Amino acid sequence: MSLIKASYGMFVVHPDPLKWIWLLLGVWLLPVYADLPPLTHGLTLVPQPHTAPALRLPTMDDETIDIEALKGKVVVVNFWATWCPPCRREMPSLERLYQTSKEKGLVVLAVNIGEDIDTIFPFLGTVDPSPSFPILLDNDSHSLSEWKVRGLPTTFVVGPDGNLVYQAVGGREFNHPALLQQLLDLLKE
Amino acid sequence: MNPTIRIGIVLLSMLLTSSTVSAQSKTVDPTTGAVSWETQMHGVTLSLTQILPDQARAFYLNRGLPAVATEPYAKACVYMTILRNDSAPGVVHFQLEDWSVVSTDQSRPPVSVEAWLKRLEEYDLTQAATIAFRWAQFPPEQAYQPGGDWNQGMLTTGLEADTVFDLVARWDVAGESYQGILRNVRCAS
Repeated sequence: MSLIKASYGMFVVHPDPLKWIWLLLGVWLLPVYADLPPLTHGLTLVPQPHTAPALRLPTMDDETIDIEALKGKVVVVNFWATWCPPCRREMPSLERLYQTSKEKGLVVLAVNIGEDIDTIFPFLGTVDPSPSFPILLDNDSHSLSEWKVRGLPTTFVVGPDGNLVYQAVGGREFNHPALLQQLLDLLKE
Repeated sequence: MNPTIRIGIVLLSMLLTSSTVSAQSKTVDPTTGAVSWETQMHGVTLSLTQILPDQARAFYLNRGLPAVATEPYAKACVYMTILRNDSAPGVVHFQLEDWSVVSTDQSRPPVSVEAWLKRLEEYDLTQAATIAFRWAQFPPEQAYQPGGDWNQGMLTTGLEADTVFDLVARWDVAGESYQGILRNVRCAS
């Protein structure tokens, strides 16, 4: 019986050698396909701006973050999972955005859906640059219904007044100049 | 101008316009042999990429689903599906139940996420496995703002291996109905 460590840092046990070759290939190849579509680079205005839903979750460091306490800042809330190819692809650009803008008052919260630290942590080590913003853990995916998310990744931007301003359905290039400008303009308000 | 020639020019221009609007491309991944079909129409991009049965097995075994649960799914003619609002005249809204998988002897919607979740109930899956399964699927309903909203997710037709079919995707923009068709798509074997 063999033990395979896949790229996601997960372990699979399987007795058939041919099968585990496929398992390894499958885990690698599924994201490879998925790399084909380009990430887009714009945020769209929320059609009817309203107060952001509640978000109070533990981080990987076992602290609790409540979005209510972040009023006065621009908060980027990104819903993601390690098995979601566009989520994986946009993660480095999210970190670059954070590095560029955190001193100006921008906060990034990445809400992982349904995974544990043993799954998330090895993935974060593969991201370059590795995320330094808080990763929140939503074990039961409750926040997705609160925020009316229909697909991953989905990202929202909450303005300093606590209202939803922008949203992005699907993967984005977060450090693209056009997208960055949208956020910088919001930070100036 | 001779009326016959004029009619010929009009018919030719209509033919050219139609083929431009619904041009369909087909590509083959040189490594895996998986085939992709893509088309653009009305400012929307639609694509299907075969997910080979072993790749579907590997993906879900690595998310914690038991082999017995992954098997029916892996054999259900699975596609990585992308729909993107590039430049539609407004918000693209769709429901998967309105789409049609048209093969020689039948026309029916893709297999719903709800139907798969119902089938999985008997396997007593972990919460993490159920969440991964649910959210890796193409959204049952979604709204894409113009300028780059999109999703990528897994879609099953429920057809046998090697079956050839047309996928008719339907959506609406500001109350007006649109559709895009991918023709002669083949299930992986």
